[in-house]
Amino acid sequence: MKHPQHGHHMHHIATPYPVTFRERMYTIFLGPLLVVALMYAAYSFYPLLAPPSGQVLSLSTIVVAALYTCVRLAIAYVLAVVVAIPLAIAVTQNATVEAFLLPVFDILESIPILALFPVIIIIFINFNFLNGAAIFILFLSMLWNIVFTLVGGLKIIPQDIIYAARVFGLSGLPFVRRVILPALVPQLVTGSILAVAQGWNLIIVAEVLHTYIPHGTTAQDLFGVGSILVSAAANAQNQVFLAAVVVMVVLIGLMNFFVWQKLLHFAQRFRFE
Amino acid sequence: MIMNIVEFKNVDKLYPHEHTPAIRNISFSVSEGEFVCIIGSSGCGKTTILKLIAGLEMPTSGSIKKPEKVAMAFQNGALFPWLSVFENVAFGLRVKGIPEHEIAHAVEEQLQATHMLALHDKYPVDLSGGQRQRVGIARALAVDPAVLLLDEPFSALDPKTTAELHDDVLRIWRETKKTIVMVSHLIEEAVGLADRVILMREGGIDSQYPITLPHPRHEQGAAFMHDVQRIRKEFFK
Repeated sequence: MKHPQHGHHMHHIATPYPVTFRERMYTIFLGPLLVVALMYAAYSFYPLLAPPSGQVLSLSTIVVAALYTCVRLAIAYVLAVVVAIPLAIAVTQNATVEAFLLPVFDILESIPILALFPVIIIIFINFNFLNGAAIFILFLSMLWNIVFTLVGGLKIIPQDIIYAARVFGLSGLPFVRRVILPALVPQLVTGSILAVAQGWNLIIVAEVLHTYIPHGTTAQDLFGVGSILVSAAANAQNQVFLAAVVVMVVLIGLMNFFVWQKLLHFAQRFRFE
Repeated sequence: MIMNIVEFKNVDKLYPHEHTPAIRNISFSVSEGEFVCIIGSSGCGKTTILKLIAGLEMPTSGSIKKPEKVAMAFQNGALFPWLSVFENVAFGLRVKGIPEHEIAHAVEEQLQATHMLALHDKYPVDLSGGQRQRVGIARALAVDPAVLLLDEPFSALDPKTTAELHDDVLRIWRETKKTIVMVSHLIEEAVGLADRVILMREGGIDSQYPITLPHPRHEQGAAFMHDVQRIRKEFFK
């Protein structure tokens, strides 16, 4: 992969994201570190109102739990991408379909996902597949972010680019593969970043299933960093809570550093001017 | 006898959701090896004619005879930003499933003809406007089309680059004997390049002018200006 941004004749290209190693370090680790420091300070100045209760988890358990959470997020994300791409392409195929489907999507998107959660859990509990409920709710929370970003991306493909491909007789799936998918790479990356962030927001709900199950117990919660956060808060285990936040922040930071930033850079190549 | 390679008979094109047709009752033909330039002010329907020849649009009525293999170069090159110069030129051949060694050969040949071989591994973002246009033309020529369509290919370029590209297009035309149909809004450009200039007005053909001056025409002085003035008078009528 070439990196044109580093060529001397590339100065006219604005870089909308940090490029150098140091800039990336700052943006990714400084902010979260500040948040954790503030939380730590707050805990130190305001001692616990209630004594901690329940079983205290070790750091390695928290790390493993965070990896479980990552796997749920990853599965939900892959499902969301697989569904979002054909949905976005289907919507923009012709004006009539778009006029009908886009408002439908708008309505679906506007339904608060959490309102659906109890229903989703009841369905999955019948199949004794509680992980499925968590993954499904994460999937729903990610889906629309990606769909709408992709629809925006499809609309900015220049007409001449489409003609240039069509003149060679390209159509159907080969047209999607050779033109539409590459053209959507920038939007797929930005949409994915938004979607995964949305997923992280929802894990404190998605894994804490017992609160949505009638007469539920914490035994029905899924092992993950989200359920640890909630139970640590409920049991006044502030060290556990803080450790879980730190583990989560470090994981998200590593993801940004090693995945999203690199993908953002890679996606520059696919942009129309 | 010279064959007509493109033939329009009473062609109308009305785009969906529009009230006035883009072109009305168009009849004209292009013979094999001819260089035809269609001029007219914007919205007169000249690009619609190219799209019809390219098969990008279907006529509302009338009949069109055109060859199977048609290729087109666009205003700003319309290169795929994610593909290198080489891969852009190879695009049409890959679509047609041509074997790899033949692709490499054909692409190199066209990059040579358009003076772009040295930049074969660059990406469109690294290229100047003129270089992009060269790649766009090389991409069209790579599939060895029977008709080459040029949609205002020089309109966004500076005068020096435009002049260089004019020379290259003329050279390629002479060497390959391709039929070329070009759209332009510049009378001087049309007279400088084409065998015949077709002036369009409001969706119809206003008039046609065979240009018989020898090349390079800009050096023909008064004779060149005479042809330009003749068309200009009609253009601004």
